[in-house]
Amino acid sequence: MRTDRLQGALEMLILKSLEHKDNHGFGITLHVQTVSEGLLRVEEGSLYPALHRMEKEKLIAGDWRTTENGRRARFYALTASGRKRLAESENNWTSVAKGVRKLLRFA
Amino acid sequence: MKTPWAWLRQRRGRASQWQDELDSHLAMRQEWLHAGGLPADEARRAARKQFGNGLRTLEDVRAVHVTRWLDDFLQDARLAVRGFRKSPTLAVVAIVTIAVGVGAAAAIFGVVDPLLFRHLPYPNDRQLVSIGYFGPVDNNEFNVVASYLDWRRQQTAFQSMTSMRPAPASNCDLMAEETPLRVNCVSVEANFLRMLGVRPAIGRDFTAEDDQPHAPPVALLSFPLWRSNYGGDARIVGQKVTVDDERVTVAGVLPEGFEMPQLGAADILMPEQLDPTRPREANSSGFLRTFARLRPDVSIEQARTQMLPLFQQTTQLDVPKELRSEVRLVIRSLRDRQIHDVKLASWMLLGAVLALLLLVCANVANLLLARAAARRRELAVRAAIGAGRARLVRQLLTESMVLALAGGLLGCGVAWAMLRTLIVLAPEGLLRAGRTALDGRVLLFALAASLAAALLFGMAPALERPRAESLAGSRVAGAARTLFRRCLVAAQVAISLVLLTGASLFVRSFWKLQNEPLGYEPEHLLTASFTLREARYGPQASQSAFFRDLEAKLKRIPGGGLFALSDSIPPRGSMGRPYSNIRIAQHPPVAPDGGMVEFRWVTPGYFRTMGIRIVSGRAFEESERASGDSPVILSASLARRLFGAENPLGQQIALDGDAHWCPIVGVAADTRNNGLTETDPEYYRLRMDNASLPRGGVALFRTPLAPATLARWVRKEVAEADSSLPVTFQAMPERVGQFREQPRFVATLVGSFAVFGLLLAAVGLYGVLSFLVTQQTQEIGVRMALGARPRDIAFEIQSHAGAWTGIGIVAGVLCSLAVTRMVKGLLFGVAPDDPLSLAAGIAVLALTAVLAAWIPSRRATHVDPMVALRYE
Repeated sequence: MRTDRLQGALEMLILKSLEHKDNHGFGITLHVQTVSEGLLRVEEGSLYPALHRMEKEKLIAGDWRTTENGRRARFYALTASGRKRLAESENNWTSVAKGVRKLLRFA
Repeated sequence: MKTPWAWLRQRRGRASQWQDELDSHLAMRQEWLHAGGLPADEARRAARKQFGNGLRTLEDVRAVHVTRWLDDFLQDARLAVRGFRKSPTLAVVAIVTIAVGVGAAAAIFGVVDPLLFRHLPYPNDRQLVSIGYFGPVDNNEFNVVASYLDWRRQQTAFQSMTSMRPAPASNCDLMAEETPLRVNCVSVEANFLRMLGVRPAIGRDFTAEDDQPHAPPVALLSFPLWRSNYGGDARIVGQKVTVDDERVTVAGVLPEGFEMPQLGAADILMPEQLDPTRPREANSSGFLRTFARLRPDVSIEQARTQMLPLFQQTTQLDVPKELRSEVRLVIRSLRDRQIHDVKLASWMLLGAVLALLLLVCANVANLLLARAAARRRELAVRAAIGAGRARLVRQLLTESMVLALAGGLLGCGVAWAMLRTLIVLAPEGLLRAGRTALDGRVLLFALAASLAAALLFGMAPALERPRAESLAGSRVAGAARTLFRRCLVAAQVAISLVLLTGASLFVRSFWKLQNEPLGYEPEHLLTASFTLREARYGPQASQSAFFRDLEAKLKRIPGGGLFALSDSIPPRGSMGRPYSNIRIAQHPPVAPDGGMVEFRWVTPGYFRTMGIRIVSGRAFEESERASGDSPVILSASLARRLFGAENPLGQQIALDGDAHWCPIVGVAADTRNNGLTETDPEYYRLRMDNASLPRGGVALFRTPLAPATLARWVRKEVAEADSSLPVTFQAMPERVGQFREQPRFVATLVGSFAVFGLLLAAVGLYGVLSFLVTQQTQEIGVRMALGARPRDIAFEIQSHAGAWTGIGIVAGVLCSLAVTRMVKGLLFGVAPDDPLSLAAGIAVLALTAVLAAWIPSRRATHVDPMVALRYE
């Protein structure tokens, strides 16, 4: 499933991916894909604009670091307001998902 | 502050970082795929494929950072440029008009900015004031040593006060190797530079010890003198130079660009060494200019209140009784002191050029309105397919912004060229040497002027609401717009009438100034001025001997023509005397408050050489110079004032309040002896052999010789008498001409503004009428087909023109009457509400209006009914 089809889903996935570990863009795509066992895929074309927008909104902070393989990459880290936003959207998402599931079962 | 370049670099840096980030992503994906077993080139291909459109992604990232309005603005700007390329004539006309308006405004701003707005080159310049007595003796406030010493000791309003000796005593001779160089030496108090907040570039400032009477002489050199005469060598500090036969130690060099507070020339500063121990009488005749720095919390008004008791006290002690009622205390800001006689002219020029800029705006607004009328359909379509009103207004404003910026850019070029011309043309007082240039402030002003203009003329078309019915292409929606355009034309007419009236006032005033009889004949008159040095010609006897010797030498110059010697000559005033000093034998004392009387020491040839008519009695005679009585000649106005209907000839008067009685031998015609416009009462005394004469002298020659030839002769003769005495030559017409420079400059500038303004008004009127004719072609055609005569049609068009012009003229007359009153001080011999000038302005304007209306009205009469009717 392409994550940009669902409003706010991409933002939440990015925030969640960064929850325990700072990561770069490629790392985030990999993380999402692996953890969702290939069900979810993050498009680069949506990821980077989203990362920059979120950085501008100060949900995440980016800086250039070196990876384990010795490559320069831009790493992103959650900020305090990013953590807050993540908590909010997780709650939100759970209730939406619950509602949707009920709706689907009803029919 | 961040510079625009740093900002740009940072922006570019950011953009390349975005690219780097995407590249690193690609590289990592490729690495990962390769590690998973794909061959290298296949891994690269797969990574790219997965990544999708990189350029698009980059654009999207960019869009996050670049603000929307900027993009919109650029898009609008591109659209505007494309639009203007389709109708280049309009764009070119608008841009050129704006360029001339903005350029002229910026150039004039460049001239008046240092005078009116810019900081003077001293720290906290607003605290600096000029202070002193103001009386009929001088055009500026002055002080005397005795009073100043009291003020300085007892005042409470100022942080500090300082003083300098005024200009007449400032000429001195610096020996440059063997030849004397006439330079300006100014004596200043030791704290002079400190009070101004200035420090020497090299060397040291004066100390209190230097300023003690009879202290070893020291000097500060001006930066230009140091450069030109000592090659900018710092080792000059501590060395001795010869100034007026005295060995003077150089203490230091003034900073580059140093300005004297009264803007006088100063090549050398020396301590003035005031001596408080001298008797009060001696110190109360020593003239000074005094300046002070206000305490931070004290205003000029408060300072005046605080100084007033002191002023009254010293007035009683130091000012001669007969003058006490005529002096008052003046404290004014240093800026006012500096620009005192050009302040009005500066404001007036700025006002005139801003009026011109306003005219330009009106004109461009008119052009854009015409264009908007033609594009009404386009705008209506855009509104119909969903462009918001704000978006449309913004686009129209962007268009005017594009025009204004292009015009402003070109205007900077115009300003540059105009400033260069102005620097050549402008009279001395209106230019601050080295500070009048096309600098950041002027450019900023040009930018601000362009943007303000854009707002002004852009508002007009933007306010017009696009209407749905315009889609039908009908012409009904135009009425309101033409009303607005008519008002614009009327406003243009009004403004240009004000400019025209002003211009004709200044031209008339200048004309009068040029042709007013001066009372003397400046043509073929050459002057040679010199000042004897006190040190060399100390005793009075040696001075008189020198003058006699020099006179004899100069008189024998072959072809020298008529010759005379005086201590001063018009048009500048002399060192005047109070009228109330004069006493007439066997008459009651004269009125006590008669102001000042001009006074000159002349040789017998003075009246013939100058071309001053003797009205009654006779001129001086050579034989009288050795005799005991010292004859006097009065000017006609002085004779009238002293004697009324009585015959002055043969009467005895005493001139300096003493009992030295002098017979009146003649009455001379009045001259313009205080500038070119003022006639002060004046008397002349014969240069007696035993008189104590002032050290300054002016030799006059009425001669057919070329100035250069005469100068050579005079130099030779003077060198024979005293080889170290410098002489300054000037032809009298040139001397007189200096007094006409400012009026000429003002008349020229305002005149050219008026001509340009008139042109703009004509173009505006023409534009609106043409538009009207085009719009009414159909109607005119119908009327012609129904039998209207071409004469009627033309009359109708012209009566439109007449109505708007008439309204404009009425408004313009009212404005002119209000505005010209303010420039009264710049006019000579013409009243501000001079009916002739106003009539001339109206006539020129009306004539122009008729011409501007003629072409469109002719076109209207040539409308072919058939063509007009088939049109739609």
